Amino acid sequence: MTFATRYGSNGDKVSGRGQIIVQAHGSEVAFPELSYSYPLKLLSPRIVQDGVGVVYMLTYGGGLVGGDSISLSVDVQSSARLVLLSQGSTKVFKSRPGRRAAVTTSSTDAAPTKQQLDVHIADAGGLFLLPDPVTCFRAASYHQVQRFHLVRGASAALLDWYTSGRRAIGEEWVFARYHSTNEVFVDGSRVARDAMLLDGAPLNVRPLPARSLADRMGPYACYATLILYGPLVEEVVRALDVRFQAISVFQVRAPLDVLWSLSPVRGQAGRIVRVAGKTTENVKGWLKDALRGLESVVGVDVYSKAFV
Amino acid sequence: MASDDLESYILLVLSDANLPTGSFVASAGLESHVAHALFYSEGPRDAMKATLAFVRDSVGTYARSALPFARDAQRVVMDFIAQQETEPSKAIDVLMRLDALYESTALNHVVRRASRSQGVALLTLYAKGFTCPPFLAAPMDGEEDTMGMESRERDERVGALIDALKLRVRREDTYGHLPVCWGVLAGALGLSLDRGSHLHLFLHARGVLSAAIRMNALGPYAAQQLLLHGVRPIVDEEAARAAHLTSGIDLSPSGNALEDDERLPASTWPLGEILAARHDLLHSRIFNS
Repeated sequence: MTFATRYGSNGDKVSGRGQIIVQAHGSEVAFPELSYSYPLKLLSPRIVQDGVGVVYMLTYGGGLVGGDSISLSVDVQSSARLVLLSQGSTKVFKSRPGRRAAVTTSSTDAAPTKQQLDVHIADAGGLFLLPDPVTCFRAASYHQVQRFHLVRGASAALLDWYTSGRRAIGEEWVFARYHSTNEVFVDGSRVARDAMLLDGAPLNVRPLPARSLADRMGPYACYATLILYGPLVEEVVRALDVRFQAISVFQVRAPLDVLWSLSPVRGQAGRIVRVAGKTTENVKGWLKDALRGLESVVGVDVYSKAFV
Repeated sequence: MASDDLESYILLVLSDANLPTGSFVASAGLESHVAHALFYSEGPRDAMKATLAFVRDSVGTYARSALPFARDAQRVVMDFIAQQETEPSKAIDVLMRLDALYESTALNHVVRRASRSQGVALLTLYAKGFTCPPFLAAPMDGEEDTMGMESRERDERVGALIDALKLRVRREDTYGHLPVCWGVLAGALGLSLDRGSHLHLFLHARGVLSAAIRMNALGPYAAQQLLLHGVRPIVDEEAARAAHLTSGIDLSPSGNALEDDERLPASTWPLGEILAARHDLLHSRIFNS
């Protein structure tokens, strides 16, 4: 296990790297590689579930600041199943609290926090990326690119979600920027490129009145994108297909608490699910219920550690 | 590129609301918005403000997510014309790659369906509606001038390119998505790149306004007021902001993913995505999207 701390030129920027290799040996799961560097921390709790490994992705202090950059590479080898979780939402600050306040408040543009994830999944392997949502605080800027390379026969459940900010103190969609791109390749060919860009700066179109990000996102405070692919998520997909088809919308009187959609990806091979909720709890509850079929894939105990 | 006069004339033809492009069956998610009680935000119900807000979010996300494909496709056709190529297969290959990339980016089955039907309609429109009828293309009194010959020869090559693309769509070798086909049409007609993208966004916005009128969400005079005074700055701004973007087909996979991502297409309106994808769930509906 390596443990390194690197400071950038301005003394505040850090870049952390992590690497996970997970293998299945019969019913055992092994991590020939599980390394990380500040501010990223990876922890693998001991669990008793055949063929399934769990890794928590953590950050020191529970958050990331402008200028931080993290890159993680994950290799799920043949027949292994890996569940990637976080512990509480990933908080993105404009600057590290209590440090260099005089410097950081003087600049209006926050340096972005960057996160890169590269995943390879081998035949009969599966990745279940089920973290808590990203919460960007006021003026914070976050950019992530996540790439998933599957072979035919591999599976993935990829969750990417974010909240409107610290609602308890009145922050609603007041971050500077949230930019998230997820790409899925199967046997080298791109089956999905999901890119979401939310710019907090209101676009000034004269003579029109300003339209803020909150105007565009409301009345919802939490959004999720879920990509499902492969044989291990077939049961989940089948159940969602049935639920979605059964919906019939008559004229609604007031916006629903949870709104979701489902679309096939590359023929019928995968699905993309999008969810919006008036609260984070709305979305969390919806996801936990929708993905419950994964209990038979990763085990009831492991599944209970997601969406807590 | 067409001369200014010719370009203005082509713009008149292309902005004809009766152009058979199939856009009259598309509402770009507006119908679903209204059904889900999300058209009006809280406060007094103001149809003009609500429609303009929708146009703004819709044009904004379309410009960032689809316009790069239209621009890149138009460039392909402009290069094909400029390089005097006779064989369209190279250009077709690039267009098909653009089309496939758009298919994997448009992660919404309702949007993809509307995009394909409108895209193919544009190719048909060119083949059936914009090619020169033979009796007008023939040289007068047997006199042949070089200008006429050049333009006829150019039109023939462009016609062959579009026919070849249409054939690939019909064989289901490719999808025929709207932004790609728009770029092809704009290039074939000799519009400049900026004109082409500007007009594409204008037509998108006008389509939303037409849908609002058909749904009785907005009166026809109010729609004209918006089109003249509200839509223009939105279309200008969004077309300008998208000018530096790329679809990404020419990017190397080994490049800096985060840096490249700044110039690549992205959706900017997650709520619009969800509502558009829920269109088919509406109990009663008058549009296809």
